[in-house]
Amino acid sequence: MTNFTRRGFLAGASASAGALVGASAGALIAGQQVASAAEVAAQTAVLKRSEKFHGSHQNGIELELQTFTNFVSLEIHADTDRSAMQRWMKLLTDDIERLTAGEPILADAQPQLALGPARLTVTVGFGPSLFKKLGLEAQQPESLSELPAFKVDALREEFSGGDVLLHVSADDPIVLSHAVRSLISDSLAFASVRWTQQGFSNAQGVVPSGVRQRNLMGQVDGTDNPQFGTDDFKNLVWIDEGPEWIRGGTILVLRRIAMQLNTWDKLGRTDKEQVIGRRLDNGAPLGQKNETDPLDLNAVDERGLKVIPNFAHVRRASPTNPKERFFRRPFNYEVGTAADGTPDVGLLWTAYQKNPAEQYIPVQKRLDDFDLLSKWTSPIGSSVWGIAHGVKKGNVLADDLF
Amino acid sequence: MIKKALVALSAFTLISTTLSGCAGGSVDGHDELHFSDGWVRVSEFSDHVDGMTGAFATIENHTDHDVTLVGGSAEIAKMVEVHEVVMMDGEMKMQAKDGGILIKAGESVTLEPGGLHVMLMGLKEAILEGDEVTLTLDFDGYDDQTFTWPAKASLSGDEKYEPKK
Repeated sequence: MTNFTRRGFLAGASASAGALVGASAGALIAGQQVASAAEVAAQTAVLKRSEKFHGSHQNGIELELQTFTNFVSLEIHADTDRSAMQRWMKLLTDDIERLTAGEPILADAQPQLALGPARLTVTVGFGPSLFKKLGLEAQQPESLSELPAFKVDALREEFSGGDVLLHVSADDPIVLSHAVRSLISDSLAFASVRWTQQGFSNAQGVVPSGVRQRNLMGQVDGTDNPQFGTDDFKNLVWIDEGPEWIRGGTILVLRRIAMQLNTWDKLGRTDKEQVIGRRLDNGAPLGQKNETDPLDLNAVDERGLKVIPNFAHVRRASPTNPKERFFRRPFNYEVGTAADGTPDVGLLWTAYQKNPAEQYIPVQKRLDDFDLLSKWTSPIGSSVWGIAHGVKKGNVLADDLF
Repeated sequence: MIKKALVALSAFTLISTTLSGCAGGSVDGHDELHFSDGWVRVSEFSDHVDGMTGAFATIENHTDHDVTLVGGSAEIAKMVEVHEVVMMDGEMKMQAKDGGILIKAGESVTLEPGGLHVMLMGLKEAILEGDEVTLTLDFDGYDDQTFTWPAKASLSGDEKYEPKK
């Protein structure tokens, strides 16, 4: 056997760890019980799955949810100019190539933590504030601007804004932690961290495929999304005009939405379902059987009352024209619990779209006017990001922007 | 350091051979040296003219004979030397390595902070994070090789420079 590579060593090391875990089921070799190769492979299947980095779109969007996520917002240093941005993006491109393959970055301070790919993705975006700082206003798409203020907003600086976004997700929290630490280390010459927001969805193997999860209000979240690989998805999400760097990219609206679970949980199941307009057990619209059944906003019950009430979230959020749709990829967050038992929980809510002015904002304005759900939810963080197009092998992230 | 890795792997082959293939993807050629993970360090010693820094990589010798890394050259540096880090008067110090760095047939050497490395001295300009640095490595027993490697910061390697008297 010839195996010189560090990666080979890591594969051996993690397999050995797997062998220890599965010791009871394995054979006895040299006085130690070890698992068979098939057992090791089964035990580490979640770690071994990888996502591609190269392509016409950045990864981490048109993709089944990973279990763990971290949104990292950075603010560039005063002396970071366009040439520094190029150097930064070169480092990040190399880092992301290696991390998505499950390998340590160059000069990794903790290569032991690069356990494997675990479906890691890193998606890089740029905030509206960056363009003015770098004198790149001509490269700022019209669709990339700050959101208008909404009445429901209770925004906090520490969860809002920023110049550069690194959105990192993986199915393993240690793999994610190492990747985030690595990417931040290689960013500190150019920027400082403005905020990070960690989140999670269901573990792998818990829910069937499809970008939806249980949010912490108990609802099935992510229903009615455009389907992957369809023209519908492409037409709603992937930008095909404007500056070159955003063609093949998209606009991300990230909202940190806090949930008041203590008061929410005082409602009974029927009230909760009326507030949303969907059944809690399977996400089906009220009056329907299955999650994917279409909303019937005109349906009335035997008393002549609307099955989906006027105040229901799904009615208010329902598009009034075909353009008012976008792709949501929501994660939960949970930071802790206060002495009185109030949990600090909510959603890291995302909307990916070509143009928020035509897609997200009209819907949010309608919800801002009236949405009973906002009695128990409040947006406490908000940011908008232009996600650059994907990276071809040998190219550098956003090389046509800087 | 790589020897340890090889030992660990051979222990693992007792368990299973399915993961023991050449995972790096760069080990398919024969009669060649393979270079991977090359980089140049950025630090407070490299951010100014006349500064210095180290270059690091893993070199695998797939030829049937020993090869020695004896030195090098770079546009950006007045002098490029092969260095080692040794314990001297209770401190880790680096100095030129007499006779160069031997890479035996079928073995590999990792150049890394705190260990064997290539030293770039008398920098003609500052090296910044994300820069690409071109340098040529000179070998006995193999053709000289030119690379462009990224420059980045690293926390490891606290050795001091000790010029040979």
